[in-house]
Amino acid sequence: MTPDEELPLIEEVAGAFRPRDPRTLASHPAWHDLSPSGREAAYELSVRMRRLEAALDPQGQSATVKAVLARIARS
Amino acid sequence: MTPDLDVHLSGIRAGDAQAFAAWLVAAEPTLRRGLRSFARQVDVEAVLQEAFLRTWEVAPRFQPDGKANGLVRLTQTIARNLAISEVRRHAREVAVDPEILAAGQDAQLRYEPEPPDPLLRETIQGCREKLPPQPGRVLSARLEAGGAVADATLAERLSLRKDTFLRNLSRARKLLLECLQRAGVDLAKGLA
Repeated sequence: MTPDEELPLIEEVAGAFRPRDPRTLASHPAWHDLSPSGREAAYELSVRMRRLEAALDPQGQSATVKAVLARIARS
Repeated sequence: MTPDLDVHLSGIRAGDAQAFAAWLVAAEPTLRRGLRSFARQVDVEAVLQEAFLRTWEVAPRFQPDGKANGLVRLTQTIARNLAISEVRRHAREVAVDPEILAAGQDAQLRYEPEPPDPLLRETIQGCREKLPPQPGRVLSARLEAGGAVADATLAERLSLRKDTFLRNLSRARKLLLECLQRAGVDLAKGLA
């Protein structure tokens, strides 16, 4: 996979959405398709995106925080 | 001075989701940073979210040891054990470096409290308003979803193919970060 082909996958994995699976850790399906350097790039991008999301939220909540709180509210 | 996030502990143990939210906001950056060494081996976002959920489940039974940030240290251990478990599960797919297994335990817990900054929010909003329409819509959809909706679903709602949605997201993010840099804001600052 070329870096250009990998770019959408990196964007997707850098997001905070993760599928729910009570049987196992819910890794993003796209994460498995990334190269090691793509996985690192997704991690670094996630750090920036969470900071951006937190800065935009009046309570400082990133998408990770919101996703976790939503799961708690549903359980 | 590092604040003690256990100030939220009594509320969390009583099942107060708002107290847990305040704790999550403060603890997340440090715990994510502690998993950096696993980034090639595990999906750090998935590990982190699962560790937070397990922390919420066990918090009512958590007994503090008298030292600061007991709940953060507990979550750090949960996250690290989850990550190691995942590394071992994928051991047939990737080479496992023993140093990676030993990493991830950040003995020096560091927090950089980031209280809400209205000026920063205004600067980011100003940069968002300068985005071209399509990338702007895509970024808004992602931000408003708050991690609760898959990108494929968000793309469908905007009548876009997922690949087109993600490429627009990439363009929006690059333009936004460039705009922020011109305004003197570096979102990676202090994260090394």
